[in-house]
Amino acid sequence: MKPLQYLYFAALLAIVGCGKTSPNTGSTSPQEKKLTIALMPKSKGNGYFISCKKGADRAAKEFGVDLIFDGPTDPDPAKQNEIIENWITLGVDAIAAACENKDAISTALRKARAKGIKVITYDSDAAPDARDFFVNQATPEGIANALMDEAARLCGNEGEFAIITASLTAANMNEWQKYIEIRRSSNFPNLKMVALRPCDDLKDRAQAEATALLSANPNLKLIMAICSPAVPGAAEAVKQAGKAGKVKVIGLGLPSENRRYVKEGVTDTVILWRTEDLGYLTVCAARALATGSLKPTDHNFKAGALGEFAVQGDNILLGKPFLFNKDNIDQFDF
Amino acid sequence: MALAKSNQQSRWRSHEAGLLLILMLEWLCFALTGARFATLDNTFDLLRHSVEIGLLALAMTPVILTGGIDLSVGSLLALCAILFGKIWRDAQQPIWIAAAGAIGFGALGGALNATLITRLRLPALIVTLATFSLFRGLAEAITHGVDTFTGFPQSFLRLGQGQWLGLPAQAPLFLIVSIGIWLLVHWTTFGRSWRAIGFATEGARYAGLRVERRVAMTYVLSGVIAGLAAIIYTSRLGQAKADAGTGYEFLAITAVVLGGTSIFGGAGSVHGTLLGIAAIAVLGNGLVHARQPREVAGMLTGALLILALSLPALASRFIGTNSIEPRMNP
Repeated sequence: MKPLQYLYFAALLAIVGCGKTSPNTGSTSPQEKKLTIALMPKSKGNGYFISCKKGADRAAKEFGVDLIFDGPTDPDPAKQNEIIENWITLGVDAIAAACENKDAISTALRKARAKGIKVITYDSDAAPDARDFFVNQATPEGIANALMDEAARLCGNEGEFAIITASLTAANMNEWQKYIEIRRSSNFPNLKMVALRPCDDLKDRAQAEATALLSANPNLKLIMAICSPAVPGAAEAVKQAGKAGKVKVIGLGLPSENRRYVKEGVTDTVILWRTEDLGYLTVCAARALATGSLKPTDHNFKAGALGEFAVQGDNILLGKPFLFNKDNIDQFDF
Repeated sequence: MALAKSNQQSRWRSHEAGLLLILMLEWLCFALTGARFATLDNTFDLLRHSVEIGLLALAMTPVILTGGIDLSVGSLLALCAILFGKIWRDAQQPIWIAAAGAIGFGALGGALNATLITRLRLPALIVTLATFSLFRGLAEAITHGVDTFTGFPQSFLRLGQGQWLGLPAQAPLFLIVSIGIWLLVHWTTFGRSWRAIGFATEGARYAGLRVERRVAMTYVLSGVIAGLAAIIYTSRLGQAKADAGTGYEFLAITAVVLGGTSIFGGAGSVHGTLLGIAAIAVLGNGLVHARQPREVAGMLTGALLILALSLPALASRFIGTNSIEPRMNP
């Protein structure tokens, strides 16, 4: 008696539930020849990756590929693996992933490769044997050169500047700093770095350090912040000291975090890459890899409307970082 | 009272029948909308991804049957995974010693919960809320939040990633634990006493049950299983990090409640929990195959829980029969 009643409800639900979804079956099967590319962000709600997706959508539309965009919505590190394993079973043609946990995700990506799926990483790499190519948004040298060149331009090639970094031991920071010094000594010998201060990746610390730098170095012309919380931190210090415009602020960070200071004229330039281009290039590369037009031996790669990109080994280089300033910062919302 | 209880049991039994139908319906919907959903490969994926949460939910069932709750299992999983990595990498011990260590620390964690709940008579919700923070905090402190254990030997990774007779390698383990806990709950005096304690704690005490000891056992079991889940989790991902198993406690509780176990204790079943896990897992996996956004899974899980819990009430209202024939428990 009782199970029968459930059956009625189940039947009712079936009519309501499946009625809406089953027409999809009809529309996907005739397009099976269309390439399917699955794109994974580190986390789904992150503005940075949403802006990557904009470029990815553009590329998908231009090349007529089916784009799946999905990623974790909670901090469970197993989620990226599960989604990728689902994609493997789903039978996508290529997977492009930004890796949150290098070692964990490499496991799933290797499995995908073993099943013949092309794998690309972007933004943050997996283990080299777990993917075919890494779309590298910025080399340490590229970032350092962009920062140093911009500093030199703002200072008029001479004077004192200081750097605020995350910590004196962080590997990537030290790498950038090394190239900044190489660039300075070879191209701008009249510029002098008077201080290098850590801020522990904290905005408050960065502000305190910048305030101390300002009072200790009256001739300071520019503060260069090479970790993202330090850029608004330094700007706030300069603003409160009433030295806006006299002491320039530049740094590596997100446009959204710095928009206010850029518009107030405190921060001159924020340096990052064009995230939309990163998404576009990633989808182009994934598609080219799946169709066989991008091979491991290639030295350059043509990505649709964006033109040629250099390929170094298994890295596809996005190229020069992008400079966000007063004139263009409003066009970017990440 | 005897009549009331058997009424309740038959109601829960039809709850499971209803859940089975919902599950079949889910399966049908996704088989129609996702071309590769109803394949053996995908079924194995599903199984592989559900084992850790499944284990936690299985062990959560006795806890909830006694009217308790264990919010600390996800955090304990992380702590055990970290200690597993520590023993293997830093203390240079073989994997099996590390595994025994992880399960041992799981038991210790569970024993801490049990002691606080049964000796100090503190509410389980508060105690495990505290250890929820404590265990995760310990895992983060040991690793400073960044240290990651990786590079485990291939023979160990096979447990989480490999196959055994065509099945995911962790499946037999899950089956053994499922059968073990099912027997424990449905065929032993332990199971009956857990239900009796959840139904009426004081009554059980007057009937001569050693309530504290029986309740303590459920938390220790929960801890041991969290340790086991930590090993499988580490093997499946190939890494142990302090953020392992974030949010698993709520998924486990959801599966248990969806499976028809009363949150107040006293009634419920292990097969109900298994159906609950399956219903949640199929939903999450099926939506990917149907090309629906992942966040819909959260919404639908919530809706499913409300539906499954209100279905008995709705059914009797609409069809107009609220006669529930008393049926005896096997």
